[in-house]
Amino acid sequence: MIENKRQELAVEPNTAPKTNGLTRGVRHANWFSRYVRYRHFYLFISPFFLLFAVFGLFPLLFSFCLSFVNWNGLTAMRWVGLQNFRLMLGDEMLGTALWNTLIIGLLYIPPMLVMAFLLAQLLNAKWLQLKAFWRAAVFLPCVTPMVVISIVFSLIFSSEKGILNYVLSVIHILPVPWLTSEQWSKTSIAILVIWRWTGYNMILMTAGLQGIPVETYEAAAIDGANSFQRMMNVTVPLMMPTFRFCILLSLLGTMYMFDEIFVLTNGGGPGTSSLNVGMYLFDLAFQDFKFGYASCVAYTIAAVVLIVTLAVNRLNRSQEKEFVS
Amino acid sequence: MKFDEEVDSESATTEGRSVIVRCDLAGNRSQRGDRIKVRAASRPGFWTLLVVLSLVLCGCSSLTSAGKAKTPIAELPAAQVAGHVTVWSWNIAAESLNSIRPRFEAHDPKVHVIVDMTGAQMQMRLMLSIVAGVGAPDVSQLQNTDAPYYIATGRLTDLTSVAGKYRAEFPAAVWNSCVLNGHVYAVPWDIGPCAIYYKRSIFRRYGIDPNQIDTWDRYISAGSEILAKSGGRTKMLPMGSNDLSTLFGILLQQSGGQIFDGQGRIAIDSPQSLEALDVLRKMRMAGITSDVPTYSQEWMAGLTDDSVATYPGAAWLSGMIKDSVTAGKDGNADWGVFRLPAIEPGGLRVANVGGSVLVIPAQCRNKPAAWAFIEYALCSREGQLAQYRGSGIFPALLPALHDPSMDVSDPFFDGQMVSNLFTTDITKITPLNKTATWTEANGYLNEALSHWAATGMTKEDIFKPLAQTMSRRLMVDLAPGVSNVSGAAVK
Repeated sequence: MIENKRQELAVEPNTAPKTNGLTRGVRHANWFSRYVRYRHFYLFISPFFLLFAVFGLFPLLFSFCLSFVNWNGLTAMRWVGLQNFRLMLGDEMLGTALWNTLIIGLLYIPPMLVMAFLLAQLLNAKWLQLKAFWRAAVFLPCVTPMVVISIVFSLIFSSEKGILNYVLSVIHILPVPWLTSEQWSKTSIAILVIWRWTGYNMILMTAGLQGIPVETYEAAAIDGANSFQRMMNVTVPLMMPTFRFCILLSLLGTMYMFDEIFVLTNGGGPGTSSLNVGMYLFDLAFQDFKFGYASCVAYTIAAVVLIVTLAVNRLNRSQEKEFVS
Repeated sequence: MKFDEEVDSESATTEGRSVIVRCDLAGNRSQRGDRIKVRAASRPGFWTLLVVLSLVLCGCSSLTSAGKAKTPIAELPAAQVAGHVTVWSWNIAAESLNSIRPRFEAHDPKVHVIVDMTGAQMQMRLMLSIVAGVGAPDVSQLQNTDAPYYIATGRLTDLTSVAGKYRAEFPAAVWNSCVLNGHVYAVPWDIGPCAIYYKRSIFRRYGIDPNQIDTWDRYISAGSEILAKSGGRTKMLPMGSNDLSTLFGILLQQSGGQIFDGQGRIAIDSPQSLEALDVLRKMRMAGITSDVPTYSQEWMAGLTDDSVATYPGAAWLSGMIKDSVTAGKDGNADWGVFRLPAIEPGGLRVANVGGSVLVIPAQCRNKPAAWAFIEYALCSREGQLAQYRGSGIFPALLPALHDPSMDVSDPFFDGQMVSNLFTTDITKITPLNKTATWTEANGYLNEALSHWAATGMTKEDIFKPLAQTMSRRLMVDLAPGVSNVSGAAVK
């Protein structure tokens, strides 16, 4: 269908008279008649574009405009030009939020991905029975409602009445102030995130593993590679795209992580020790009603994230080319 | 773009492949993306869309900048007051308003009141409808602390001409959040005078006399005694390090400190703040606090077991305690209340936490009828007392507070005259100066306090940097005098 359309696009201008003065008018007639001619198709795809325009594009453009104003939602907007961006450069709380985001990411992404990979390997093994059951079990935390998780984890992490500290006391380890100390709050969040998202990453990795052709393993086995060598030299290199994909998703997830922090540390406490970028944006916009400044920060962060993503993808591609050649 | 993706993922057989293929897609997309972009840019429809959207944007911004004039309210003869009044409120407060509806409609037969009790997302709904200029109710509940934010927008009805005369009938502590530049925009509903709720059984067991506890120092030593005699099992009070600002706010009212001075400048850096902080420090150092988040599961559990002996809180907290604690057959739960300890002997033993107000958004079409309802519900002794008896809403109206019918013993608290205790000295409560940025300022205060608590309370003065943070982020000046005094005090 697409091909047909492209052909017609190519053909139609040729059929129009080639008078210079009329070119614009003809082109105009062309795109208009095209719409009229394919109106049914456009009608069928229009719901997405209409919804996207209202709920996707409009907020995007609107918040871009908001980055240049001061607005608390109720009083008149005040144009401040680039002042929001200037403020942002000296915003120590944004610095803290970025730093916390980085630390939380470093704390949970490596162990989570390693565990997800090992679990995926395990659940992909030929000898394992009840695969669907195990897979569902590991995936379950990911679909558990956050309200339930928050109640359970606040009971686990509670410094005075928590299960975790009780278990530690049984094996003669001093209680840890999981949620009430600035040193431990990030760790507690990392533990919750690992518990919640390992299953999701495991599913992605299982999918990646199943995409590796069996022939490569057979060839390696014939060449005399043992199972460890097969993992290191066949599985890991072929899984690289999946790893990068998981890392990218996790990085983005850390940036905009919200509910975990909101429920576990009361939105970034103690102090600002577990405040991440997503939480900070929420505070700016919906607690302090600084919609202008919040949009400005959000846009800047989005730009940084976009650049990082593009860079990672570029890296991805160049490495893949190397691998192929 | 949509088509391309589908074609590619169709070619992949397993779910695993499709993921990898999409991952590749992201890498390859730049070439395809370029083509799409070129096509999009050359298409007039794209530009039309952009123009339309930017027009919409301009329209929006001009709408919001127009603002609404502050509409004064005229007093009409009672005979002309008629029509429907919709009210937004939440929870027990909504039930309370609903319960006095028949009485009001007997009083003003031509006015029909509809109370919308769905409190879900009310704050957000109210804000959106106030911004949009349509959809707001005729009367709305706001938290006392949120009122200045809404008042500053100029989108609430100026009630000065009708409500001004009630000024002397409300304690200053709740009235001052309803006023901006001498104009009244809201009417106080309830007040949250604070006291200490305690478990009589624990105090009896360890021989503590609650009547002796008149200062925070004595409170702390009583707490240490209970802690020692119970073998470390029973803590004196719950104090979540994530929510220190509530107790700090109580102490600040007692020490006479302020977050904002009268002109809205930052006044947190003061000797009074240090005095209040010192009480918090002593409590935590004595080990008598149970570090559980306020209103969490563990906090609630402390109400029914003997891990916590007392709960400092406002009058409205009794509702929560009564909901969780099972009383005996005679309705006696063996709980008691004693007055808030003072910082210094003979000092102030009251403070206010929380409370709500009612407002009329400027877009209300039937202001006289809306005002008639507010006046009956909040400014009449009859209306306020009916709400207190029906739902336990502690009235802010002084004539209602001093009504003899408030002098009743409460069986839940072993027959204690609880409301009398809360009413004592209620007019002496220090009003905290609230500004439109109160909630945000309180957030910074809470952050600074929880940071201070989590880092071992070693910092002597947390208020100088806090004042600077507040000043920078709220874009208001530091109060000059207060800051200097504090500087001297620290040295």
